[in-house]
Amino acid sequence: MSQAVLRLARQQAFSSLRSPEWRALLAALLVAITLISLLTQLGDRLEQSLNRRTAELLGADLVLRAEEPAVLATQGAIRSSRVAQFPTMIEAGDEMMLVSVRAVTDPYPLRGAIVTEPAQHPDIPEPGTAWAEPRIFEMLQLEPGDTVQLGYSKFRLSHRLMSSPDRGSGFRSFSPGLIMRSDALEATGVIAPGSRVEYRQLFAGPAGAVATLEEQLRENLGPDERLYSLSADQPMTGRALRNAELYLRLSALFALLLGALTITLSLRRYNAAQHSRAALLLSLGLENRQLLLLYGYQLLFGWIICALLGTALGFGLQQLLVQLIGDLLPQPVPQAGIAAMSSGALIGLLLLTTLGLPAFYRLSQVSVVALFRETSLPSNIRSRLIQLLGFGLLAGLMSVYIESLTLALLLLGALTLSGLVVGWLAQALLQRLAEGFRHRMRLGSLLLLRIRQQRKWHRLQAATMTLLLTMLATLIIARGDMLQQWRTQFPPDTPNYFLINIQPWEKEPLDQLFASNDLSPALYPMIRGRISSLNDTPLAEVTLSTEQRRHNALRRELNLTWTEQMPDNNSLLSGSWWQGTPSEPLISVEQDLAAAMGVDIGDRVSFQIGSQLIQAEVSNIRAVQWESFTPNFYVIFSPGALDNLPATYITALRLDGEQRTLARTLLQQFPTLTLIDIDQLLNQAQALIEKLVDSSSMILALTLLAGLLLLVVTLMQELERRRYESALLQTLGATPGQSRQLDLLELLWLGLICGGLAAVASEAILWLISARVLQIPLTLHPLSWLLLPPLSALLFTGIGALIRKPLDQARCYSLLKAN
Amino acid sequence: MDSPKPDQVVVSAHAVSKKFHTQGGELQLFENLNLEVRRGESLAIIGPSGAGKSTLLSMLAGLDQPSTGMIRLAGSNLAELDETARARLRARSVSFVFQSFHLLPELSALDNVRLPLEIRGEADSEQQAQHWLSQVGLASRAEHLPGQLSGGEQQRVAIARAFATRPDILFADEPTGNLDSETGASIVDQLFGLNAQQQTTLILITHDSQLASRCSRRLQLRQGQLLETTA
Repeated sequence: MSQAVLRLARQQAFSSLRSPEWRALLAALLVAITLISLLTQLGDRLEQSLNRRTAELLGADLVLRAEEPAVLATQGAIRSSRVAQFPTMIEAGDEMMLVSVRAVTDPYPLRGAIVTEPAQHPDIPEPGTAWAEPRIFEMLQLEPGDTVQLGYSKFRLSHRLMSSPDRGSGFRSFSPGLIMRSDALEATGVIAPGSRVEYRQLFAGPAGAVATLEEQLRENLGPDERLYSLSADQPMTGRALRNAELYLRLSALFALLLGALTITLSLRRYNAAQHSRAALLLSLGLENRQLLLLYGYQLLFGWIICALLGTALGFGLQQLLVQLIGDLLPQPVPQAGIAAMSSGALIGLLLLTTLGLPAFYRLSQVSVVALFRETSLPSNIRSRLIQLLGFGLLAGLMSVYIESLTLALLLLGALTLSGLVVGWLAQALLQRLAEGFRHRMRLGSLLLLRIRQQRKWHRLQAATMTLLLTMLATLIIARGDMLQQWRTQFPPDTPNYFLINIQPWEKEPLDQLFASNDLSPALYPMIRGRISSLNDTPLAEVTLSTEQRRHNALRRELNLTWTEQMPDNNSLLSGSWWQGTPSEPLISVEQDLAAAMGVDIGDRVSFQIGSQLIQAEVSNIRAVQWESFTPNFYVIFSPGALDNLPATYITALRLDGEQRTLARTLLQQFPTLTLIDIDQLLNQAQALIEKLVDSSSMILALTLLAGLLLLVVTLMQELERRRYESALLQTLGATPGQSRQLDLLELLWLGLICGGLAAVASEAILWLISARVLQIPLTLHPLSWLLLPPLSALLFTGIGALIRKPLDQARCYSLLKAN
Repeated sequence: MDSPKPDQVVVSAHAVSKKFHTQGGELQLFENLNLEVRRGESLAIIGPSGAGKSTLLSMLAGLDQPSTGMIRLAGSNLAELDETARARLRARSVSFVFQSFHLLPELSALDNVRLPLEIRGEADSEQQAQHWLSQVGLASRAEHLPGQLSGGEQQRVAIARAFATRPDILFADEPTGNLDSETGASIVDQLFGLNAQQQTTLILITHDSQLASRCSRRLQLRQGQLLETTA
């Protein structure tokens, strides 16, 4: 018998393709599987690529940084390597140059690869040789094979170092780099007590072993030690990609929700249409249990078709998207794993099971009596329980997918709430509009009636479409408009170059060079130091909240400076600025840091600078305009306090038009200083953001497809009723045009309202971003006001025309007779 | 039989045939069917199920078109009119009373009667609808929804709706089919009473020979042919 049921189910799955309800169900499932498969595969590839890129930047899976050499024995599958990095001068003939040296042990690096010229190279430089970055060759006018003096040793520069991971962090990474063997370090004599050396130990190995090691290291982390790992530390692009990944998950969740809604509605319709068929099958001898089996099999057949098709489509689309954003990612982009590839199909199956089984369970409880008179499907506690279980499973599925129950719930709540508000508002506006037209057009009262009748569908349709259009409009406008606006808001004299690593002896000739070019940027001395105690209590013993401890400035060395005048772009909040050179060291503290440390005027703060300990009294608290593109400091000392300590200088300047050639002159005349082109950095950031927004818009456009499908299904919900109404109206003398007009106006108005609401909502979101994130003045976007309502109206009426085909007059009477 | 004067004939069919294409081949429902109905006449068309009574009615009312032949309705050749013009003609000259009433369930009795008046774009639709509801004795039930009315009351609302536009021709398709005999009889009385009062041409389709006998003419539709019968 079960064979017969299986055969019947297969037959029914295919013959049902003629039924619009079954087609809608399959279409909803297909779109959901395609979208989820696309987004999960894309997310997986992004994550893999991100981990690989971070590993390559770190040169390892895990890096322990310390100011003292520490050698940790490693066990098992973990490989390890050690690096000492320090700035030093090298000499070649009469020329000298400041370089950043990495003395490394074999193997190096553990992740990623060093690229040299010539390309063939041993794992690390051979004894007596070193590899140097091209800038060293250029500045010192050397060729590969030439020799440089480093401390007491001579090294032959055998290779140009074209690129390498693990370049170190902060300003250290800006100096031209040189790689040498660790075992040759001692002979150079450049490392002495108090030298600014950073020691790093690199680790790599299987993910599980690395995680265990990371946990152990983190527990025993000393105050001067820092641990960098794939999971916690990412460069700027890494953060952007991480956000992109979260965005993909959220989009997938939205698609999942839309899919679930569409599937529920199509199932409901399909179920209703199957009511008498199920009763007939019962009357022919099928048992209720077999009926459930029959529809279960049918769902399975439908799922197989959609799973194959959806997975293939998802794969194709994500390949297309990876092509689009490909140059953001290290090549080749790793392929998605099997789990990600099959996720769409599996989630589709879960959706179908959780939503379909309760529905079909109710259908299987139908009675033969339904053949003789209209009965409603039984709704007993058991079917309610199954339904509840279905919803529970769906909620669980979402939280597993998002990897956070709180986030899933928050998102669900936010979507539901905004959906409710938007839906209610749109419906109220639509009804108001129809009331206004009630006496101004023929059939006006019928239209008003229909709008009242359809209000729950209108709310759902409006909520979905308005939210989707809002997101799409926000993304597109933010991409085209706001980034540009953010950049142009800076005053025209905002610096576009940073100069760092200026040596004390270069200060005077540099000032002269600036003066001869009509420039007068302020040069700030810069010394690195760490806050060690507050009011004579060591920092480690000061009671600070976790939040306070998390402040960046308390976890690392700070750039300290001293100045007589308060820098521009700073404003005094409390206390007073010093006059001349005070007898005791005074400091000015930035407001956020002051809050994090809990210090106020008169408190004493000690700094560890090299081997010296310097204590200073807080003289004032300052606000800093961080986005001013000028050197900004958390802590500023009064003149005299740091005079005897070795410092380099930093400045920022604006070079426009012909002045830009000065950048080259600077590098030629002062080879050891480092020039940072801010315009170039901003261009790179903008290009990155634009690419991410482009791919997000594509994904959102696909989600819009899921929304349109929901619109289709909701428009199909009361199709029979509308056809009946049309038939009656046309029989009573309404022209086909009048009858179409009723449908058209309802959808046209709803579309216009949704578009209008989306325009308002996107302006509101953009306003929030302008005011809160970018801090730029509000601008309106009239184009979106003009385009969104007609676009949305077009979507609504287009789909309406597709679904509600005009009724042939010849069928009107037979439709009425059949009713 | 002498041909009636053209101005007296409100519905006519000349050599009308109707074919359907089905999977099993072509199905001929009528062939060379002729019919003339004069103003004020009441005509019953009777016949067994499947004879094509409803198809004939929808062709005469301009809802469907014959495969060959010509139908004239209220002075117009239907073949020469497009869908919109046929709809306007219907709105102006034709009304229906159906077996299953066909009231829109979410409209009150009053609004159901107003519906065809609104389609015609008449300004005082509410007053007219009120008037016709009182004519069928339902003035007090004007605000009730069809679901709150009995079958007989619903059919009376449908009759009010049919007469509200003062049609030249009223098509009634099994008007008592869904009612018990007592209610059916009172509905028929009302229908014929209003018909006489309004001088409307009535074309009635029915199984019920007693109902048919109240009409001035009776035609039997059998095997694609219309035959005049006597009571």
